[in-house]
Amino acid sequence: MESLNTLTIAQARAELDAGRITSRQITEACLAEIASRDPALHAFLEVWNDEALAEADRADERLQNGSSLGVLDGIPLAIKDNILIEGRHCSAASKILEPYIAVYDATVIQKLKAQGAVLLGRTNMDEFAMGGSTENSAYGPTRNPFDPDRVPGGSSGGSAAAVAANLCLGALGSDTGGSIRQPASFCGDIGLKPTYGRVSRFGLMAMASSFDQIGPITKTAEDAGLILSALAGKDENDQTSADASAFLPAWKTNLKGLRIGLPRQAWGEGIQEDVRAAVELAIDALRTLGAEIIDVDLPYADEALAVYYVVMPCEVSANLSRFDGMRYGVREPENNLLDTYFQTRGLRIGREVRRRILLGTYALSAGYYDAYYKKAKQVQTLIKNAYASALEHVDVLLTPTAPSVAFSIGEKINDPLAMYLEDLFTVGANVAGLPALSFPARHDGTLPIGVHLTGRPFDEATLLAIARCYEESR
Amino acid sequence: MSLTKEELQSIANLARIGLSEEEADRLRHELDGILGYVDRLQLIDTTGIPEASSIPVQADEFRVDEVNDCGDAARALIIDNFPASQSNMLKAPAVFEKPKS
Repeated sequence: MESLNTLTIAQARAELDAGRITSRQITEACLAEIASRDPALHAFLEVWNDEALAEADRADERLQNGSSLGVLDGIPLAIKDNILIEGRHCSAASKILEPYIAVYDATVIQKLKAQGAVLLGRTNMDEFAMGGSTENSAYGPTRNPFDPDRVPGGSSGGSAAAVAANLCLGALGSDTGGSIRQPASFCGDIGLKPTYGRVSRFGLMAMASSFDQIGPITKTAEDAGLILSALAGKDENDQTSADASAFLPAWKTNLKGLRIGLPRQAWGEGIQEDVRAAVELAIDALRTLGAEIIDVDLPYADEALAVYYVVMPCEVSANLSRFDGMRYGVREPENNLLDTYFQTRGLRIGREVRRRILLGTYALSAGYYDAYYKKAKQVQTLIKNAYASALEHVDVLLTPTAPSVAFSIGEKINDPLAMYLEDLFTVGANVAGLPALSFPARHDGTLPIGVHLTGRPFDEATLLAIARCYEESR
Repeated sequence: MSLTKEELQSIANLARIGLSEEEADRLRHELDGILGYVDRLQLIDTTGIPEASSIPVQADEFRVDEVNDCGDAARALIIDNFPASQSNMLKAPAVFEKPKS
């Protein structure tokens, strides 16, 4: 058998249940891989060696007693640093939260713990989940496991790199405009952003509350389904969590009868030739598997990025006003209250986050509200309607996940607009509130390229089924 | 639309973010670029179009609004997180200052 850290969650589950391996062995394999590779990758901000091993031992005991807690019992996972775990540091990769200790478990963490998952550590990210490269971490960038000179994508770059490098069996990320799917694309993982409302946001540090969702980053589509099953559900602590029917995987052996739409508006200029070619090959493969490929019209799709870069900063400016050094985090004491705020937020919040706070404050300020926020929310309605009518004719919409392969560290960091264009294909699903997934087009050791699927509300099962069918045909 | 120096300073004051001269100049340039991009929305006719709702249709219930005790462990963590404290009380700069005579 290969090293245990390279197992998928489903494989590990089968081996554990058969009594052929223990959770301690898998956890030790992950920790050993972290010790050997993470000094170079920097996927983790903190690793909880002793606690992880203790949890693994408890899982092994449960397995022996026949009192296993669920599919994730004894499975080592990594958690993005913006999801609260009681008693653990949680910083959102920001200096302003450097000393902060979480006071309670996020709902997703309660659910993972209730299933007996082993939490290995917290993963690096762009500060407060703002960025597409993980270079905006106040603790230094994460490197792409396929090429250390390139970014892993972002903002969930630590989680995506940790999964790709087999430092864990799976990970949680969060996605506001593509922060699960774009790093999954750059690292060759499966990345799933569930339907808005599918997973509770309670205990996720809010970035843009109307777009944020927590989701899995995994090695296979089947694993993403296992994690989503554990996370999904109505939560009375999150008013926007939906009372939808339970998530149930619906795997398929072929794609006969499925209609996949290619939105014309998305296939314009600006896509790297490599990416276009790889995604077109993947489309051919999906056709061979039985899917019907149809050109569809998706009006206003190319406006989603502009809508996002108005609404998101507005919500950011409101959500991040709580980080003022008064009740928690770092305070930079000055002679009076106003200067204390200025110094604390000026020195301890990074450049990109400050930029978005100011942009949002401007768009919401007197005289500009109608021109920016109201206008963007109206265009959002047009975009939602366009997605809804396109998805009446097809089951899913397909595009590349990102316009390029992983770019070089430093390449876009001083050009905010170029960095924002990274979200071009992913942001539509957040603006429309729909589920979306990135799966790797190829596994040939070259830089990964992701294929992006957007589905109907609460139909994550179809996205996962297509990705798994494709995986298994390779 | 172009952001004046005064506008940027006023926004930074509202957002309680201290800016150096140099950063203010760079930010004006960067924000102009982003605002220039999002200005494309002005070309779209939205007459009679309602603003999008952010709440999923399946989520329209409120839970009971009641005070819960967080428990001693959580209380201790909250107090440990205070940037400054005195006898387990949060210490913060005064909102109103004594006039200096």
